[in-house]
Order: sequence, then C-alpha cells, then structure tokens
Amino acid sequence: MADTSFLSDHSMDRRTFLRRSALLAGFVAAGGGSFLSACSSGGGASGDKGPIKLGVLTDLTGALAYAGVADANTAKMVVDEINAKGGLLGRQIQIFLEDSASTESVGVTKATKLIQQDHVDLVVGGITSSMRQAIKGPLVERGKTLYIYPQLYEGKECTPLIYCSGPVPAQQVDPFIPWLMQKTGAKKFYLPSADYVWPHTLNGRVRQVVTASGGQVAGEEYFPIDATDYSTVVNKIMSSGTDVVFVTVIPPGITPFLQQLYTAGFTKRGGSVACVYFDENLLNIVPAQSMEGLYSCLDFFQNIEDPFSKQILDAYNTKFPGSAKFTAGSAATGVYRGLKLWEAAVKEAGSLKQQDVVKALDHAKIAEGPGGPAEMVPGQNHARMNMYIAQAHSGSYTIEKNLGAIDPKECVQGVK
Amino acid sequence: MDVPRLAGIAFDVLSLSSILVLLVLGMGIIVSMMGIFNLAHGELVLLGAFTVYLAHKVGLGVGLGIVLAPIVVGAAGLLLERSVVRHFYSRPISALLATWAVGMMIRESVRAGLHGRSEVVVAPFSGTFAIGNVYLSQWRVAIVLLTVAVIAASYLLLQRTRVGLQVRATLDNASLARASGIATGRVYALTFAFGSALAGLAGALIVPLFALYADLGVTFLVRSFLAVMVGGVGSFEGPILGAGAVGLGSGVLPWVVAPVLADALVFVIAIALMRFMPNGLVHRG
Repeated sequence: MADTSFLSDHSMDRRTFLRRSALLAGFVAAGGGSFLSACSSGGGASGDKGPIKLGVLTDLTGALAYAGVADANTAKMVVDEINAKGGLLGRQIQIFLEDSASTESVGVTKATKLIQQDHVDLVVGGITSSMRQAIKGPLVERGKTLYIYPQLYEGKECTPLIYCSGPVPAQQVDPFIPWLMQKTGAKKFYLPSADYVWPHTLNGRVRQVVTASGGQVAGEEYFPIDATDYSTVVNKIMSSGTDVVFVTVIPPGITPFLQQLYTAGFTKRGGSVACVYFDENLLNIVPAQSMEGLYSCLDFFQNIEDPFSKQILDAYNTKFPGSAKFTAGSAATGVYRGLKLWEAAVKEAGSLKQQDVVKALDHAKIAEGPGGPAEMVPGQNHARMNMYIAQAHSGSYTIEKNLGAIDPKECVQGVK
Repeated sequence: MDVPRLAGIAFDVLSLSSILVLLVLGMGIIVSMMGIFNLAHGELVLLGAFTVYLAHKVGLGVGLGIVLAPIVVGAAGLLLERSVVRHFYSRPISALLATWAVGMMIRESVRAGLHGRSEVVVAPFSGTFAIGNVYLSQWRVAIVLLTVAVIAASYLLLQRTRVGLQVRATLDNASLARASGIATGRVYALTFAFGSALAGLAGALIVPLFALYADLGVTFLVRSFLAVMVGGVGSFEGPILGAGAVGLGSGVLPWVVAPVLADALVFVIAIALMRFMPNGLVHRG
C-alpha cells in the first residue's frame, strides 16, 4: 500500500507539473516569435505528436532506495530544465516513473509495462548489474528500446541500444590502485565482496592491477548478498597483515562490515579501506567513524572545484532538499550525464527516430556536466569522463586527486 | 596458528553464539512450553530493533530504547497471543501459517515506516578493548555478558519462582494444572509475552551490530529455527546448546571453506545431526 501511495504522489506532481510547464513552454515559444516545429519530425515509440515519453525505472524502495530516489529526482530535474526551455524538438518530455523495488523480478514486470503499455522512447535506470541484466531483456532484446544505464559497473555491456553513462573499471581501478599504493605504501590487498557479477568482474581487474604494480592479493572472498555478519573475514583481514581492504560488499551488508572492520581496529593500526561506489549518500547509512579515511574513486564528488558541477548541485538541493543526495556512486551523475548526452543526440539527429538518435548518441558530447565535460566514445557505448579520487573525513569527502578525462576502454574490437 | 588469532576466532564464535542464543531463547521458550513454532519471531526481533530506532529518533536515546524494547515487544506479544495465537494451540501446523502471516504484516509495516530504507542505529558505546593486537568490540562484549545475564534470569524465573512452577505445570499436563486451580490461559499468554519480550530485547541489542532494515528479523529466523531443532524442543537448555552449535559452525566454517559454501554447510551438518539425534542434543524426559 505504501508503495502505491508513494508513486501516486509522484504522478500527481507530474500532472500539475506538466500542466504548468506546458503553459510556460507556450509563453516561451510565443515570446520568441517562432515555433520551433509545428509538426516535429518524430518517429519514436511515442509517435510524432504529444510529449516525448521517458521511462525512469529505478529502485525507489528497498535496500537501494537511497540511490534510486536520487536518480528519479535527477531525471525530474533534467527534464524540468529541458521542458522549461521549450522541450526537445519543441515537444515536452513526460516521465513515466516506475519502482523496481531493489528486486529483479519487480524490475522485469515494470520494464515490460514501460515498453508494452506506455510505449516510452527511452528508458534510463537500473542500479545493480543484476538489475540491468534482468531488465535489458524486456527493454532492449525484446522491446528494441534505447536504454541508458547510469551506474558505475564492471563493464563488458556491449549490447547495441544500451549506452552506459557511469564509470567502468578502466576509469575507476586502473589509475586508482597504483595511486593508492604509492600514496600509502600499501602492498597487500584483501577483497571482501558480495557474491554477484559486479564484484567478481571488478575484483579480476583489481587483482591484475595490484599484481602489475608489485602488490599482492591476500584474499578474495564472496558473501551471500544478504549476509550480515562479517566477523570471520574481518579476523582474517587483521591476521593476514592486509594494508588495503578493497571492498565490494553492498548495502545493507556494507554497514555491519565497515562497523566490524572499524571496531576490529583495522584503520587504527594503519590500514586503508577503498570502496569505489562510496559517495555522499553512503554517509547516511554508515556511521562517520566507521568510514573515516575511506578512499573512493568516482566521476563526481560534491566538493570538486567545478563551477558548473556546483550549479547542478545547488539546483538539485533547492529542488530536493531531502536525504537522497545528488551523488556519483548512487548513479545520479550518470542519470544527468546520460540524459544530457541523449538530449544532445536528439538535437543533432533532429528527430526521435531510433536509428538517427543512436547514430548521434554514439559520438554525443556535452561541454559541461557533473564532474566536467563528457562524451560517448564512438563505437564503445561508454562515456569518457573526468575522474576524481577522494577520501572521507568526518562526514564529507576531500578531493585527493583530479585524474582528468579517462577513456572507458570498453567494447573495443579485439580487446576483451 | 598464533594465539591472538585463535583468541579472535574464539571471540567471534562466542559473540555469534550469544547473538543466536538471544534470538532463540524466546523462540525456544515458546515452542517448548506451548508447542508452537512462532514464525513471527523474527518480526518481534525486528520490532525490538525498530523500538530502539524510534526511541533514538524522538530523542530518548539508544540506551533507554534498549530498556523499552522488551516492554513494547512483550506487550505486542501479549496482543498477538490473545488475538491470534490462542486459537491455534490445538493446530500447530495452522499456527505456522498464522504466525508467518502476522510476521509478514509486521515486516511490511516496518518496511513502509522506514520507506524501504535501511537505517543505522549506533551502539551506546562503540569503542574497543585491545588485547595485544586483537581488538574486541565493546558492544559485542556487552552482548556476551548480557546474554549470560538473560539466560540466568530466565532460568531462575522458570525453575525457582512460583510463576515458573505454574508454567512448567501447565506445560506438563494442562488439564491437571487447570484442575489444580492454575489459570492456564493466562499462563500461556504470559509465557508468550515473555518469549516475545526476549525477542524484543534481542532485536534491540543486535541492531547496532547490523543495520535496521525490514528483513533484519527474517534473515535470522531460519537459523534460529535450525538452532532450536538441533538443540531439541522441550527443554530450557536445548535451544541454547543448539544456538551454541550453530554459532560454532557459522564462526569456524568460513575459515575452512568459502563463506557462501559455509552458510550451506552449516545446514547440511545440522540436518545430519538431526538425522542421528532426532530428539536434539538435549532430550527431555
């Protein structure tokens, strides 16, 4: 029951918001003296007339709600901005928001609804890789719909029609690990992980980079996704003389893991913790003391010195002052980047015809975005973006290094 | 293997077992005394954890929340027994379904109350004791000590007091107890409330170690169930020993095999144990 009332609240917002923004768009267009397009050349799933339909499918409830709500908020913010400026190709964008409830089977049902009932032109969403794998069937393989996956992940998603706007291992691991080893003098790594595809694949890359940089992996262990007690692995970490814990346990287990690691005295004896999805939203679910000194590597942190990033952040905080913040590890920056790249592509294509949009999206560029400019690397379905290394200090992150623009190196012919 | 490392493992086992003992004590008392497996037990644990969270949220503090939790959950248990459970004493299988349904209602209500999120509850004290280079979490040590105190108090209550005598009399022979002037209905209600209060206390004590989320109780339910089965139904000490055995398995096995496998292996060993000791480690009478 709570779920439905939650969603209907949103659709109420959407209706009133649409009415207002349609009015506003009318004024803008009339004031400018030229209608952009009386009959826009459409061709997308939503047809030629009426609003462009954007499906937002994310985890509004469940363990990942902290991220999903931020993603939905970000999509609304971007769409409001576009609509307030007269829409895209003169058409308003309408959001179809669905909750995948941090549960894959729910995601599949909602994905099918977006395609078969709502006929959306584009879907953005999904947080975990298991969710992406589950919903790409109904969205892309059967639904033949363009899908933007906004979250950092393990890479290797090269299905046509899927575009990834978050960072991948080449961006998160390759520069980060050697930097960390040099900075802390660390040699020995331990990789406690949740047992699903992201940690398995990412750890493979971590192992490679650690070994190549002259380090050593003392242990790599996988836990059931719903595991809550990590005292054994914490004990092993303590007794193996590990320098860096590179953790890929996810919520809700990450809270007890970090608490247990902290109380075991790992950081007190000089150990470092690294977790590449840690952002400002995690400050809400892990006590500050347990994540003091934790290193993360992401495409955006709220403290970076980029005027446009600050502008986006301010706009978001004014619009959505709640606890779900605009952050990178929660895929909010990926949603922003993905939608703006898509907007650029639609503008270039001058139509919503999928083949035209895809052709333009393949090399789409935005001059400014969260963390800086970004662009799709042609033929790779992934984006080049700026990356930053940051460290958690008493409830916020300080930027340790701006790594600059980094290539995703995904879906390259002949390279795995 | 060096000494501090062994001490670390021993403490893990002790702390895991204590948590499980706390969780199964209430369940064990209810099943032993009343013959009903309460599948809403996990949600009573969750309610205890939720009480602490609410107390913290309204500014009463975590400490007071932990004191309040058994009272609140005990009252909830009383309500549950009077409204639902008492209709099922003669039908234990239906009782499984009924309590599972109640549990589901509690779980989903809490999920709605938390807006589906997970929340952090910080322990009243979160420091560590250092013994050499082994650090012991103070809260875990507190849990071990509190568990011992709770076991002792429950034991004394059931074995040394008049109320305990009435409970045991009712358990042995309900009609004879009734004939001797014991209000068995009231005894059942109070026993259930007591078991629930223990569940509430368990939830309140363990939530700082983990996090508060709707599935907190249900993740422990199967393990608690297993501990009661391994230990044996019908005695006070059975479930406690069972919890110790399951805690030992869960603490030591991950050192030997992969953690994902260890979880399953605990169950395999428990099933084998039940095959060869069908009445549990402690068989009453």
